Amino acid sequence: MQEAVLKVDGLKVRFKTEDGYVSTVNGVSFTVHEGETLAIVGESGSGKSVTSLALMGILPPNGEVVEGSILYRDRELTNLSKKDYRKIRGNDISMIFQEPMTALNPVFTIGFQLREPLMLHAALNKQQAHSRAIEMLRSVGISDAEKVMGRFPHQLSGGMRQRVMIAMALSCNPKLLIADEPTTALDVTIQAQILTLLRNLKRQSSTSIMIITHDLGVVAEIADRVVVMYAGEIVEVATVDELFESPQHPYTKGLLNSMPKIHDVVDELYSIEGTVPSPLEMPTGCKFHPRCPLGDSECAKIHPSLESKEGDHLARCIKVAKKELVV
Amino acid sequence: MKYLLKSLLKTIPVLLFITLIVFVLMRLTGDPVSLMLPETATQEERETLKNSLGLNDPLPVQYMHFLGDLVKGDFGDSFRYNTDALELVMERLPATIELAIAAMIVAVIISIPLGILSAIKRNSFMDLFITGGAVLGKAMPSFWLGIMLILLFSVMFQLFPVSGRGTLGHLVLPAITLGTGIAAEMTRLIRSSMLEILGQDFIRTARSKGLRETVVVNQHAFRNALIPVVTIMALQTATLVGGTLITETVFAWPGLGQLLVQAVNLRDMAVVQAATFIIAIFVIVSNLSADLIYRLLDPRIKYE
Repeated sequence: MQEAVLKVDGLKVRFKTEDGYVSTVNGVSFTVHEGETLAIVGESGSGKSVTSLALMGILPPNGEVVEGSILYRDRELTNLSKKDYRKIRGNDISMIFQEPMTALNPVFTIGFQLREPLMLHAALNKQQAHSRAIEMLRSVGISDAEKVMGRFPHQLSGGMRQRVMIAMALSCNPKLLIADEPTTALDVTIQAQILTLLRNLKRQSSTSIMIITHDLGVVAEIADRVVVMYAGEIVEVATVDELFESPQHPYTKGLLNSMPKIHDVVDELYSIEGTVPSPLEMPTGCKFHPRCPLGDSECAKIHPSLESKEGDHLARCIKVAKKELVV
Repeated sequence: MKYLLKSLLKTIPVLLFITLIVFVLMRLTGDPVSLMLPETATQEERETLKNSLGLNDPLPVQYMHFLGDLVKGDFGDSFRYNTDALELVMERLPATIELAIAAMIVAVIISIPLGILSAIKRNSFMDLFITGGAVLGKAMPSFWLGIMLILLFSVMFQLFPVSGRGTLGHLVLPAITLGTGIAAEMTRLIRSSMLEILGQDFIRTARSKGLRETVVVNQHAFRNALIPVVTIMALQTATLVGGTLITETVFAWPGLGQLLVQAVNLRDMAVVQAATFIIAIFVIVSNLSADLIYRLLDPRIKYE
């Protein structure tokens, strides 16, 4: 096994709201290894984006990490000073976001925005940063890079903007790239291009990728290992092959079943009944039991722990633990 | 450039329309002759004077005469001072512009730091204090503020002259008086504009790059937040040129506002027409410059 780049242990994040404190991430633990692509999968509201913002140290002002540790190459990030955190952010760990249309500042040129992290972290002067930025644009498949440097974000297409974001995020050779739904807002053909680009870039550098998505198609396309989140908790951890071949948790199975299959003709697509519970009205016991086809009175009482089924394949379900579940 | 020319051409009908309204209103509201002659003057004498001033011609004819002179830059003579009306206005204009610019500077110096501060410290005591102060600044009548400033800084501490125009010291109190109200409005505007921008995705991106918070706020957010603020600044500047009468009166500031009100009271048509024309030009120019600054600040706005 490769060395761990990022080790998250028992991470808890809560937000201050008008109705008091609300925990959106409850004791999440996972590891990202060097050169690995880890996917975090879950529905909206499962806490996956909040987790990534917590890792970057850019939670909104009303959010805070209350417990747990975030180790970046043996360095604890949760008690880092603001100044030291800034040195890591955009440099060792960088991030791309879901909405390329709004993630770039509309009043600055692409060149300005690309030069910024280079001048800040790599201590390049403006000219050096400029030529490095052009190099980065070329590496993400933008051929008329010089021209694009002088453009403003609104003059580029969504796919181009996401390429710019990727170029920006990778410009300081980060050890870890966090990609929060990087393809969700894009056309299908562009999605495929961006995923291919990420895969190729990873092959060329030692950068690990943590990709956050609700799209299992993306997972199959790019991930090595998968963490499935539900209602602020991890419910299953598996390699991508294990996950697609023998999913353990009923929620994971539900997610897989709701993917349309190309050869099956069905009248209606499968969907998991109900929605992710609000953090204010969390069910007792297993948080998934009200929506689970196997949920019973026992599930409502016992909050299952994340247990190993075999090797590193973990699931949070008492039925799985008791092997009541037929795989 | 083409845009600028086009906009300048578009202002011509606007100016024409303004002259028409002012012209007609001045003639509907009364007759200057009764104020120019002593009460004992006979009806005959009045008619003679009216005829000589051309006030007995039909209105369209009078207006055509007025326009004909206007093209030559001639607004006619003031009935009261018997001198060229435009000259009278131009004499007062520097004082008004000086005060307007000074007030704007005061407003900007106060409102930008306070607006940003209350946005980044949202819902804190500091924010409450600043927004409360802004309400107070807006609600305070300017004549009261002006008089208080005079009592405090001129009479008690004798730091600034009480009234009149001349030195930089004369400018301070009237500029603060006028600037406070504008600062109050701008502070609130900058606050809400900054709050909106600080919630945008690109601010998160800027933070994720590891930029210092001051760079994120003062560069990435403020450049965007400035766009709506510029409109208010331009509109306020225009208002300042036209309507600073109260402050001018309190500080005996020899500006355009005083001249205009005097002229209206005396039905001094030529002066009113010249003054409104000049003010209208200022309003148009400041709106136009707001448009141009927009383009500088926001590359998404394109004219053509």
